[in-house]
Amino acid sequence: MKKKLLFVITLFLSLVSFSGFAQNKTVTGTVNDEQAIPLPGVNVIVANTSRGTQTDFDGNYSIDVAEGEVLTFTYVGYTTETVTVGAEDVINITLQEDAAQLDEVVVVGYGTQSKRTLTDNVAKLTSEDIEEVPVPSIQSTIAGKAAGVQISPTNGKVEGGVNIRIRGIASIGAGSEPLYVLDGVPLINNNESNNGSPTNPLLTLSANEIASIDILKDASAAAVYGSRGANGVVIITTKSGANRPATFSLNYSYGVSEPTNLREWLNADEYIELFTEAAINTFGEEEGVPYIEGIFDFLSNDTDWRDREVDTDWQDLALGSGHVQDATLSMSGGNEKTTYFFSGAYNDTEGIVRGNELERINGRVNVTHNFNEKFRAGMNLSFSRTDIDRIANDNAFVTPLQAIAQPAISPAYLENGDPNPNTLYPNFLLQDKHAFYNTVIRRVLGRAFGEYQILDFLKFNSDFGYDLYYQNEDSYTGRLAPFQSTNGEAYASSVNTESYVTSNYFTFSKNFNEIHDLEMVAGMEYNEFNRRFQDVSGIQFPTDDFQTIDSAAEITGGSGSESANSFLSYFARVTYNLYDKYLFKASIRRDGSSRFGEDVRYGTFPAISAGWILSEEEFLSNSEVISFLKLRASYGEAGNANIGDFAALGLFGGISYNQRPGIAPIQAANPLLTWESVKQTDIGLEYGFLDNRISGEIDYYIKESDGLIFQQPLPGTSGQPSITRNIGVLENKGIEFVVNTKNIQTDHFTWNTNFNISKNDNEVKELPNGEDVINGQTILREGEPLSAFYLREYAGVDPENGDALYFVNAEDGDPNETTNDPNAANRVILGQPYAEWIAGLTNTVYYKGIDLGFTFVGEWGASIYNGGGIYQSANADFFDNQSADQLDRWQEPGDITNVPQARLFGGNGTATSSRYLQESDFIRLRNLTLGYTLPEDFTDQIGLEKFRVYFTGINLLTITDYDGYDPESTSDAGQGVGVTFYSAPAVRTMSLGFNINF
Amino acid sequence: MKKIFNSIFGLFIILAFSGCDDKLDIEPRQSISVSTAISTGENVKNILIGVYNETGQSASYGGYFQLLSDLYGFTTEATWGGTFQAPRQVFNKEIFIDNGFVRDLWLNAYEAINQANLVLDYSDLVEEEDRDRVMGEAYFLRALNYFDLNRLYSNGDMGVPLTLTGIIDYSQNLEIPRASTSEVYNQVISDLEMAYELLPEDNGFFADKYAAQGLLARVHLQLGNYAQARDAADDVIQNSGHSLTASYEAAFNNDVNSSEDVFAFQVTTQDGSNVLVTHYADQSVGGRGGDVTVNPSYLARFGEDDARGSFFYTSAQNEGTLTGKYTNQFGNISLIRLAEMYLIRAEANLREGTTVGATPLEDINKIRNRAGAEALSSVSIEDVLNERDLELMFEGFLIFDYKRTGRNVGDLPANSNKLSFPIPQRELDANSLLEQNPGYETT
Repeated sequence: MKKKLLFVITLFLSLVSFSGFAQNKTVTGTVNDEQAIPLPGVNVIVANTSRGTQTDFDGNYSIDVAEGEVLTFTYVGYTTETVTVGAEDVINITLQEDAAQLDEVVVVGYGTQSKRTLTDNVAKLTSEDIEEVPVPSIQSTIAGKAAGVQISPTNGKVEGGVNIRIRGIASIGAGSEPLYVLDGVPLINNNESNNGSPTNPLLTLSANEIASIDILKDASAAAVYGSRGANGVVIITTKSGANRPATFSLNYSYGVSEPTNLREWLNADEYIELFTEAAINTFGEEEGVPYIEGIFDFLSNDTDWRDREVDTDWQDLALGSGHVQDATLSMSGGNEKTTYFFSGAYNDTEGIVRGNELERINGRVNVTHNFNEKFRAGMNLSFSRTDIDRIANDNAFVTPLQAIAQPAISPAYLENGDPNPNTLYPNFLLQDKHAFYNTVIRRVLGRAFGEYQILDFLKFNSDFGYDLYYQNEDSYTGRLAPFQSTNGEAYASSVNTESYVTSNYFTFSKNFNEIHDLEMVAGMEYNEFNRRFQDVSGIQFPTDDFQTIDSAAEITGGSGSESANSFLSYFARVTYNLYDKYLFKASIRRDGSSRFGEDVRYGTFPAISAGWILSEEEFLSNSEVISFLKLRASYGEAGNANIGDFAALGLFGGISYNQRPGIAPIQAANPLLTWESVKQTDIGLEYGFLDNRISGEIDYYIKESDGLIFQQPLPGTSGQPSITRNIGVLENKGIEFVVNTKNIQTDHFTWNTNFNISKNDNEVKELPNGEDVINGQTILREGEPLSAFYLREYAGVDPENGDALYFVNAEDGDPNETTNDPNAANRVILGQPYAEWIAGLTNTVYYKGIDLGFTFVGEWGASIYNGGGIYQSANADFFDNQSADQLDRWQEPGDITNVPQARLFGGNGTATSSRYLQESDFIRLRNLTLGYTLPEDFTDQIGLEKFRVYFTGINLLTITDYDGYDPESTSDAGQGVGVTFYSAPAVRTMSLGFNINF
Repeated sequence: MKKIFNSIFGLFIILAFSGCDDKLDIEPRQSISVSTAISTGENVKNILIGVYNETGQSASYGGYFQLLSDLYGFTTEATWGGTFQAPRQVFNKEIFIDNGFVRDLWLNAYEAINQANLVLDYSDLVEEEDRDRVMGEAYFLRALNYFDLNRLYSNGDMGVPLTLTGIIDYSQNLEIPRASTSEVYNQVISDLEMAYELLPEDNGFFADKYAAQGLLARVHLQLGNYAQARDAADDVIQNSGHSLTASYEAAFNNDVNSSEDVFAFQVTTQDGSNVLVTHYADQSVGGRGGDVTVNPSYLARFGEDDARGSFFYTSAQNEGTLTGKYTNQFGNISLIRLAEMYLIRAEANLREGTTVGATPLEDINKIRNRAGAEALSSVSIEDVLNERDLELMFEGFLIFDYKRTGRNVGDLPANSNKLSFPIPQRELDANSLLEQNPGYETT
């Protein structure tokens, strides 16, 4: 197979004949747009000949011509320029945007393509869309800007994970994260946190060095990434220099952050009232009152609770205001031979949760050099250092937000100013003062590349990419921290993961007679990933001044492990356009991976697509109304290989008992385990009306995931709780609608609007033997949405006696029958954790130096289960402080309420049920930026190219009926999808900043 | 120049398209395949060590078995005040079928049982000199897990599922129905008798023949086979070489087994786990501040000089009274103390009207003397049962003593459906052949 491919390529090369030239010199130059942004893929043709070339990714070209010949520069979406070659060797061109056309260049993997002739669905974002958004994670900047792409931050911690779901969730057990490819290097995207809550591995990237983000949404686009393209592919391209004198750009912003929302908790008065009542209801007046007063005495730590001496707002102690500071300096430029881009960035973010901070430094250099007209090479190299002060995961007693469980009558501090150690739950302020958990991520990411133009129409690219993710964690828990009983405890870990990738491919690109436009790409790629992890923990420190493992008198644990995986791939793609209006594309990729069993190791992933630009047809070309119309359809297959490295094998791992070594089964074998395959069909219509004043696209897709990888629960009696299997079929289908309008376009005033909305329906189509798979509070059931909530249905309160009621929901029973015994209530499907509708609305306005941009996002159809509800809103079941709504409890026969009678220790309504499930629809103003650029004649005088000041903010406004902290706040402690558990609300930030170019 | 480029280019092509298929063969580096694990005697012995580790984990004898068994029995003796809901449900005797602790105890026990089954299935690989010992230990550990599973999850004649073959092929149908209660107990007895036959007199901190005999005594007592219980306990007392520690306190919180430990799960700073400290102890010694506080009515049952009555301390966190039995977070967890054997022999002799080994009064006073308590002058069944409460509280005996003697637990009769654990919801979900216990069915 490989030999054959080689043979075909060689044959092809020899068949293509060289055409004779009559040139006598080489002209080079750069083609830019009006904003001085280089344009890749511009056709540079010597008029009346068949000679021509295209600009490279940095807008550079080089062509052999004779003096007196005429060069034409054509580029869809721009007006055509012609230049007669004179004595000069360098011809730089600026192309004007042609409002009547519609185009941009999208990056599609191993090449670029014009959006106009693209037959796939690719959403493109440029640096303008993502810069200046005051969030540390790159993913969060995308929110609301691409149809069908849902960005869900886990919660308000600075290092928190971000889930990106492209066209719904296509997997359960194999990860739903897209593949990220930065400058051709597949990024390491593994959570390496060891404190129980994930860190976002892409935190190490700075938005300021990114030129564009292309999101490959349909399988036809993503199939060229084969077994890793199933969740879509996010291609990130960093900035590069251009053929022009050096320019410097400085950006600085500073802002303050606060929680988007706070909740109401009982104050001291209300706490005493409710709990006295609860104790009486359980123990009677005679026994209950003295009992609960004893508890109050204890909780108030000898302060006078009867006089309400203490009324602590614990929420206020845990959540505060933070800040975000961001500075970037970059320099870019070049000449006809060499272009360069240098940048450095600094980010300092203090979170809204006490003790949570991030500090990041980035550096990058991108250099490209043209050795001669045939050969160019270059290197992109970046490093970053990210230092994070972390707090415990949501399910830890010492995490700050669990402080909301402390009663208001408990003092936070003692009289001497030290945190009060005698609280109901461990006082997180002790942890804050006497313990730390610090993570430092160092990342080096680079690519060396060469491009050799073998013939005018044939080039060879070879890339070598390397990604090193090196992380240290250090933690020390001092003597006075909660639960500390070993004279201090330290933990240190170190992990280094590296990924290297080499890709080599040929690109054939030729236009025949201005009728046939043909491009072919064929190549191979090898990617290897190695991981090495070590950690050690120790106890018994001389004093709390000693905080590293060296001083531990006793080492209590340590580990060292290694893992690896590899992918070997071959790929090919053909694009053929006829008359610039009939468009065809086909691609194929063959992938092998070490992750799968020997027999199922290789897979082939084909894709095919076609398009028809109707507006080029005669019957439409003269239309006043329709300026662009394209119909396209695609079908493709991609895989999801995102499972553990050795998930197919039956394994025993090492254990120890009383320090004697032994082994134990750790994984059940499944030799048939292979990747999930995703087949996607997409039909789309792209339109432009009234000189493209109104444009956009409409897509319909069906995405079927087959062979879902899942931890299927086994009967516990088998000795293993679960097995990794390819067990089912899942379907996502939906529509996406995008409209861009240019509302106002005058010299001094422009106003553009982008609106996108998408609906995704998710349905489990097939499970083994059609049987339900239940996992905690969620279920997989045929015909239902993925991971639908499967809970007892709360039926409110019995007005007679204050008992919590649940619907029995027996299969053939009376649908209104209720019971007060939760064990007698059947579980039913009551919602889903994933949004059905997501929408984004962005407006950009420029008026005489003033710029205003804002983005609203909305999501509808998801629900959130509050795992902490059984403690927080449990009508005084235990001593936890209660949410203020619990004051509406049932008190006497006839009371109509949803809050059952308060019964201390009574378990009245505390079973897992829909009482704690709520829809989480929301609309929020994700981002708003208002800027003012000083007039040019003024900036010229002070020697600057540009000076702009701006205000920017995120999450400035949220509209929701959801009662929890925030519709975008869920547990980071692995408690299941759609579950919130003392999770921090999202962050609202307001920043002021300035840009200077000189 | 061009030549150089051409040769570089040629090299690239060769590199690019030459096979690197073998690059896809990557083996795990810190685990071995199942087939390797069951191919040598050395590995079978390694699996046996794994069974100890598994059985000693938190969900089982690392403490939750004992904690839940006592919470299930507590009415006036002690109170669960901790925040965890799962133990609170057990303490309230109102268990939800998705109770996480009830689920994890089940899962962990069957993991240990499967590993013990694997040891027995592949014991042929073990060299002959070690084979009997290895099999004996596996029988002992399997019996221990089945006995306590059956005690907690059976109701009437509905026992727990019984599986006696190790599973390595997970592609087969794994669903099995419940066995009868007596089938399970009979298997437990036969395993322990086998273990007694096979095990050596002394086996370090691993199970020896007296560990099997001691557990057998406990099983027979539970089943009301008093003569067998008596003889087994007597055998341990007479022949095991174990002796009561000089003081009551010395029997607890030990880093290495005390003279009284017939069998104990080993905990060190680096392995094993002791969650009894987590829930019974103050934060200064590694606990959560005293989730279980002891009530005055229990304290009042001790005589004045009884060291056991003062083996308590006050929690610095919640000011409750805490037991002193768990104050070393890296201390071993005693499973069978010799004191229990005296109590079994006394009760069985008394019920059988015999005096094998010693009179019941002598045995009871032996226990009381060690604690400094006043000697009794006569002893009744009630006295023995009371002595068990005083001696063995917080060690996982309470609910079983109530149930076997038919005494009410608070308002609940001993045979109440509420005093059997439910079959965990996840298990019913994964195994369609299982039937839920009465009292927990959804309607």
